[in-house]
Amino acid sequence: MSARWLTRIAAALLFVSLAASTLPRLIAIVNNARTLLPLPYEARRERQMGAWYASIEKLRRELPKKEQIALIAPPRDHDSAVFANYYLYPIRTRLFAGRNAYRNAAPDPTRPAIVVAVNASHAERTEYDVLRNRDLAAGRRIVTEPQLSAPMTAFILPLAASLDGPSPHTFLIEATLANPNAASAEVRVAFWPKGLTRTIVIPSRTTKMYYDFVYQLFGIMNAGWMRVDSSQPLRAAFYFANRGRGEATLMPNATGDATNIAPAPLHRDTKLFVINTKDARATAILNGESIPLDPHAFISRPIETLPAISGDVYAFVTTRELDGRTDFLWPQ
Amino acid sequence: MAAIIAVTVTLLFFPLVVWSLGRRSLGEAFLLGLGITGSVLFIAGVVHVPLVMAMILIAVWGVGSGVWELRRGIPRPHIHSPLATIVMIIPLVALTFAAAITPLNDFDGRAFWALKAKGIAHERSIDGPFFHGGTHDPRNQYPILIPLDGAVILSLAHSLDDRHLRWLYLGILAALALLVRERIGRLVSPAAGAWCAALLLWIPQFSVELEGGALSAYNDIAIAAFAAGAFFELLDAETRKSEVRFGLWLAFLVLTKSEGLPFALVFLAIGAFVFRKRIITPAVITFTATAALLAWRWRIPAGDEEDVFRLLPTIPEKLDRLGMAISAFPRHMLLMPRWGFFWIAVIVAAIVAARIDRRAWLAIAMIASILAMYTAVYVTTAWIPSELIAVTADRLLMHAIAPSLFLLAMAARASDR
Repeated sequence: MSARWLTRIAAALLFVSLAASTLPRLIAIVNNARTLLPLPYEARRERQMGAWYASIEKLRRELPKKEQIALIAPPRDHDSAVFANYYLYPIRTRLFAGRNAYRNAAPDPTRPAIVVAVNASHAERTEYDVLRNRDLAAGRRIVTEPQLSAPMTAFILPLAASLDGPSPHTFLIEATLANPNAASAEVRVAFWPKGLTRTIVIPSRTTKMYYDFVYQLFGIMNAGWMRVDSSQPLRAAFYFANRGRGEATLMPNATGDATNIAPAPLHRDTKLFVINTKDARATAILNGESIPLDPHAFISRPIETLPAISGDVYAFVTTRELDGRTDFLWPQ
Repeated sequence: MAAIIAVTVTLLFFPLVVWSLGRRSLGEAFLLGLGITGSVLFIAGVVHVPLVMAMILIAVWGVGSGVWELRRGIPRPHIHSPLATIVMIIPLVALTFAAAITPLNDFDGRAFWALKAKGIAHERSIDGPFFHGGTHDPRNQYPILIPLDGAVILSLAHSLDDRHLRWLYLGILAALALLVRERIGRLVSPAAGAWCAALLLWIPQFSVELEGGALSAYNDIAIAAFAAGAFFELLDAETRKSEVRFGLWLAFLVLTKSEGLPFALVFLAIGAFVFRKRIITPAVITFTATAALLAWRWRIPAGDEEDVFRLLPTIPEKLDRLGMAISAFPRHMLLMPRWGFFWIAVIVAAIVAARIDRRAWLAIAMIASILAMYTAVYVTTAWIPSELIAVTADRLLMHAIAPSLFLLAMAARASDR
């Protein structure tokens, strides 16, 4: 066989080796194009990328055109955020790898206020609180066996909060309300100083548990105190929890004014909290200085040493240990 | 309407720009036009000439020189090797059909390159808010020659829709095939040129691969095309102004992808032996492009791209990666679904061709230098080398396509003698 024929056979073999892979894929590409042909262009993208692209199209219509958007995606869905960024342009975006990256950027004045949550299945405009609540709901409460109080119909929760510090600090109230009675209990919860109220019904011999009492009841992230009034005596337990650190402290169910805080070591970030639980004005006397408080007021101030405090108010102190744990000094 | 404008701009604008330098073959004209348009706009942007004004000047110049050339008549093309031509046209027709209908669906194209084209078209600037954190641009300092060409198309089409960019990327592959056909046709034989172009279009990595192929918006085919242009100028060094064109191809490499700069330096080193004193011209052009690129990069914040030059001193402490890096390309060359027997044929062809023609050594030197350079990158990289190799090796092999096809053509001709 001549060298020319050998070359031709080799060339044919080479071509077949290429075509064996290219031809079927080329046919598949053309067939795919044929199935897409009757559709409008955006519908073709939807066919390729599924519901995810439909959600991006919706966002493109809804989002303001001149404001930067925070794209929050879990690290495993980073690629989805990159593509969301691509399809949303010229809407400007800034990527945050997870909710914690967004909350840690809180001190940054350029952090976008509008939030879009992205994952591999869809993208949606949302609020930071909603994402936080979703994460908290998906996790577990810290306290699994709460120490319930004796039955009471009215009491005050001196500190109620749903707040975030820098990651991982996530402050919330884990609440357990048990109705041991034969009749269902109608419970009125007032959140002060916001002045918000909600009524919840706890059926007879039922226990309700909350992983983030303030947010679940009022849908806000805030701090204050609460008054709880129930139509039936309730057994309750409220824990001030730092979900990110897995720490929880049982809170007292207070029934009246109290200011007599026993001396104890103070660490860092120590704060005195004073609340006026009444519907009328009150006065706190702090190291001899009179401080007038509006009805339902909730004030705090940093302190270095435990002050002498008195008056028709409720006062307590928080202090953070070196390991970051928060200690509470409650009045006697 | 926007779609018609996009196709017209892609197919006519870029080739016309080049006719001011004298009439070139269609493939070469398209690629040179692409490179010149992108480079001129880039340098205009660096010196703060408004891009719209630069774009208008290029358009007027291109149309003017095009009309001037057309007065001399259109040469009737003579089609050699009809069978090879049909074989070449089949994938092009199929890809054209798919590009017209199927939306872009790759990774890098959407994440980096087409996004930049949109950003430039929207802001009419290469250092506006887009490049200063106004939006998320993951590889902020990647060179932007092709995105600038894309921005021309999007701007003239008055649309930021990436469907208008589909023709650009397919056009680059078609132009590369035409360039190969014409140059190998001239340097070896018309039949060899025609069959090499046909083979190129049937290589899965070029035609149908989702990441890096003609239906993606990656820039590897552009790098392969500009490298092909430079390589053929080395072989054609005796022709008039070849050193200028060589310099232009190298400048395009520098301004197209990050690896273009070391790539161009390799070309310059080899080109010094070919052009001798005339290497000054391409060196000046390359360093001008490099200086413009560095000036631009200096003005904008870095993204998460890797600075290979800064990592080079770390080679001694990463020598344990050498084995993996050296074996990377041979392993990928043997991936049948992407390359068939192509690289095996190239190795055999290199052995045959090296014995009969000195020019084969130039092709072998080019391929060896390119692979050695990329192997060094795999050793130094800050990414996980195995992961980087998995996603890039086949695309980097594309860059050596022109010398490889040339070796095949030489070996085929040797057997004809």
